[in-house]
Amino acid sequence: MSFLAPLFLLGALGIAAPILYHLIRRSTRERTLFSSLMFLLPTPPRLTKKSRLEDILLLLLRCLALAVFAFAFARPFIRTNAIAPAAPTVGRHVVVLLDSSASMQRGDLWDEAQDRALEIVRDAEPIDDVALYTFDRQPRTLLSFEEWAATPVDQRAALASNRIRGVEPGWRSTNLGNALIAAAEALEDAEAQREAPGPREIVLVSDLQEGSQLGTLQAFEWPRGIQLTLATIRVPGRSNAGIQLVPDAPEADPDAEPAARVRVTNARNSNQDRFQVGWSRGGASPGIVGSPVEVDVPAGQSVVVRVPTPPQADGLTQLVLLGDDDSFDNVVHAVPPEKQQVKVMYFGTEADNDNSQLRFFLSRVVTSIEDSRASVSLVAPELGQAPAPQDFQDAKLYFVSDGASPTTAGELRSQMEAGKTVVVIPKSSEQAVVIGQLLGVPPVSLSEGMPPGANGPVRAGATPPYSILGEINYEHPLFSLFADPRYSDFSKIHFWRHRQLRIDDLGEARVLARFDNRDPAVVEFPVGRGRLIVLLSGWNRADSDIAQSTRFPLLIYSMLDMSGSLSSQAGQYAVGDPLPVATIAGTTAQITVTPPGGEPTQLADGATAFPDTRTPGIYTVAAGVRTFRVGVNLDPAESRTAPMPADELERYGAPGSAPVANAAYEARKEALLQGTEAEGRQKLWRWFVGAALVILVLETLLAGWTARRNAASFESGGLPS
Amino acid sequence: MIAPARNSGLPAASMIDPRALMTIRNLELRARVIVEGFRNGLHRSPYHGFSVEFTEYRQYVPGDDPRYLDWKVFARSDRYFIKKFEDETNVHCHLLVDRSRSMAFGSGEVTKGEYAATLAATLAYFLHLQGDAVGLLTFDEELRDYLPARHRRLHLRQVMFALERPAEGTATNLVLPIDRITNLVRKRGMLVYASDFLAPIDRLERSLIALTACGHEVSIFQVLDPSELTFAFEQASMFEDVESRRAIYIDPVAARRQYVPKFEAHCAAVRRICEKLGIVYHRLTTDQPLELALFGFVQERMRRGRQGRPARREGPR
Repeated sequence: MSFLAPLFLLGALGIAAPILYHLIRRSTRERTLFSSLMFLLPTPPRLTKKSRLEDILLLLLRCLALAVFAFAFARPFIRTNAIAPAAPTVGRHVVVLLDSSASMQRGDLWDEAQDRALEIVRDAEPIDDVALYTFDRQPRTLLSFEEWAATPVDQRAALASNRIRGVEPGWRSTNLGNALIAAAEALEDAEAQREAPGPREIVLVSDLQEGSQLGTLQAFEWPRGIQLTLATIRVPGRSNAGIQLVPDAPEADPDAEPAARVRVTNARNSNQDRFQVGWSRGGASPGIVGSPVEVDVPAGQSVVVRVPTPPQADGLTQLVLLGDDDSFDNVVHAVPPEKQQVKVMYFGTEADNDNSQLRFFLSRVVTSIEDSRASVSLVAPELGQAPAPQDFQDAKLYFVSDGASPTTAGELRSQMEAGKTVVVIPKSSEQAVVIGQLLGVPPVSLSEGMPPGANGPVRAGATPPYSILGEINYEHPLFSLFADPRYSDFSKIHFWRHRQLRIDDLGEARVLARFDNRDPAVVEFPVGRGRLIVLLSGWNRADSDIAQSTRFPLLIYSMLDMSGSLSSQAGQYAVGDPLPVATIAGTTAQITVTPPGGEPTQLADGATAFPDTRTPGIYTVAAGVRTFRVGVNLDPAESRTAPMPADELERYGAPGSAPVANAAYEARKEALLQGTEAEGRQKLWRWFVGAALVILVLETLLAGWTARRNAASFESGGLPS
Repeated sequence: MIAPARNSGLPAASMIDPRALMTIRNLELRARVIVEGFRNGLHRSPYHGFSVEFTEYRQYVPGDDPRYLDWKVFARSDRYFIKKFEDETNVHCHLLVDRSRSMAFGSGEVTKGEYAATLAATLAYFLHLQGDAVGLLTFDEELRDYLPARHRRLHLRQVMFALERPAEGTATNLVLPIDRITNLVRKRGMLVYASDFLAPIDRLERSLIALTACGHEVSIFQVLDPSELTFAFEQASMFEDVESRRAIYIDPVAARRQYVPKFEAHCAAVRRICEKLGIVYHRLTTDQPLELALFGFVQERMRRGRQGRPARREGPR
């Protein structure tokens, strides 16, 4: 005889309770609390010889009842040779998802993951269908259901082994949500192709790190009947921290030495909290150049530190983190921040020292703009001379007053199409031609505008008639600096003269500001990927007194910023992200991209991105004579290697996830299942409970009879003294 | 001196059953219910102005200190009145309350501890309304809470708070609080002692002599459970002392014969000491309405007020 719940047999020990009860009953039945015993003396207990004999019988009955109850609760059953379950006729459909993200490079994770995946494949029955997928940012099919079905049964394991052994973990981040969706869809497709529905299962072989992205699961409706089994692989006791480059804060101190800002993130399960960060040349000399920056980061938190660029910054392309166990995410590839030399070109006929003209004010404002990111210089080609090609190429912002030849205008137009900004300040109505050339629309005309009151008589000594800005689009980047009500008052700026722009079709042009007589004051025309801004009144003294206003330098600064001249650092790109080469190089023609340690790839004309960023490192983008170096790094989420909370997948609606159990556990589970079935059939416990109840009835009858007999004896015998 | 608790003249129907009273959880509210009910009853009674010493509010006579003139009355009625400070006429009353575990015993729904605490709270509230200063000393085998006599609203609340603490002492020292209050309170005042007095009383008399010698007017309330008077248990069992946790097997039928005489002798000894020292002795059981205790207390105060302080007797009658 076996027991389903043998622990309940311990309940038989409860027979000690009635024995004790019978023993202590001789001294007292119950306790009564009383305030004070100072007036009381103990009474000798009453005992009778006859009651002892009857009590023993009661005792036996009570003990027996308890023992039988314990026996019943232990769920006894007799083992029989259970009928072997019928062999399944429908095979399982299993998708094995193998995580090949960067975090799988840690320790022996990858070897363990491969072994686990192979074990699952080998355990598959011949009628089962198995598909193998690897995944990082995207799932990839390693072995499809069709290939599996087409492969002879005895060769399936070898095929799967070949495929699995041929994969290495990459540098991409983990998008578990996409992988699970792909697996579920593959199971759905396979299910649709077979006649009878069978069990479907996704086995996830992964380190299930916290940084895995599950967001796509939110909108996914899981098909019914899919079981998710987790084969989680862990590296216990390892500390991991990662670094990430952070853009310079806008409020950065302009006098501070050049430095890179990095965020050090320590994983939640990390044991260490002190790390070192510094610049390195990488490759053959991976050590830190100069003195490293010490940083303390508690587990689960992140800290941003500035890492100063060493004086000899040549060849420094890596920021490295030292002090943790896993090194896969300890390097950030970055080009050391250098102070940019920004060029602004001016095309005009004025002399630099003519303090009533545009150039005089512009050169003083532009050259005064200098911060940690850039130093700006004004390049003004002499009249009649062509600008130096390098200057022309380097500049991102061009001012044109009256010194642009038709050739220059054509070149400026091509620069605008590549994304640059040209500001035209027509000093007279003859400049309409230049504007027309820049816009590529000939019928543009300019005329002198009249400020309000200009037609009336002007008294000698009185302020001449003027216009003011009546309407300003503060949402545009040019004026957004002035959006605050404290700075939005332009009414003190007088415009003595302005031009009226007449154009048949404004197209996509936008009027950014108007004078109080509704004439446009600032108009923006998009040209290609760049823009043309036309100022219809200049800052020369004949036109206005804006140059004497505090708003003038800010306006020029806005133009520089808007043109992209002051953007010092290129964006940060993660492995797997397409590299937006058009944005980086400012052109789409003749772009060559050289990955780290790879061969140069010539992109087709018009291609805006380089898609194949497989490894982290410095990618070189060459466009004509110019080269740009950009760092492509590991996704920071991949550094969050702490295990994902157990219920995270279920929170995202994934079907009940169960861990893969070992064989011994399975055997025990199977035995328990068989025992439960046998016990369920036999239901011996009912008989034992019935027997116990009968014993209890007997005990009750006996106890009642004994009590009545004792009472009768008490009444006849009186109160014993 | 025994207060006529049961023959008070108050209509028993208007009194509140202690069991119903104890359903009010808040002690202060409970005390207020008793006192308000008691005072409402008094409107039809001849007992007016039972304060121990009257607060004066009178017209000015030449020779009075003009600082005490009530100028508001002068403004209203164009007359000079003197308002004497309440402190000048008030007495200080200390309540000594037994919080030993024997007070936590109750054969019915009301324990002696709850009853004694309610009694003390009622007296405190009543005295507070009169403008008297009330202090509290709780004790078991040691002294627990001591609050000096004050007449403030917040102080009354502190008294109530201290009285609401459960009775947890594992023994009773009847003498210690008396000795301590004798040393602490030098100013002549009133003292109300509430306990079950179920402890040796051999040193009680000596301590009470010292107390009364200081000029204090002492009232003793012996609070008992009805079952303690009769030992009306039927079932033989292990009787456990709630204080010492000592247990002995007792057949009540047999034990009752010797218990009741011993118990009554003990109570008589306490009463005798009180009579000897001119202390007012009240024996209350937890099934008696608390208004009776308050009425007895007030009646005794008025009698003393009319007769002056009772003479100390030299020996038992």
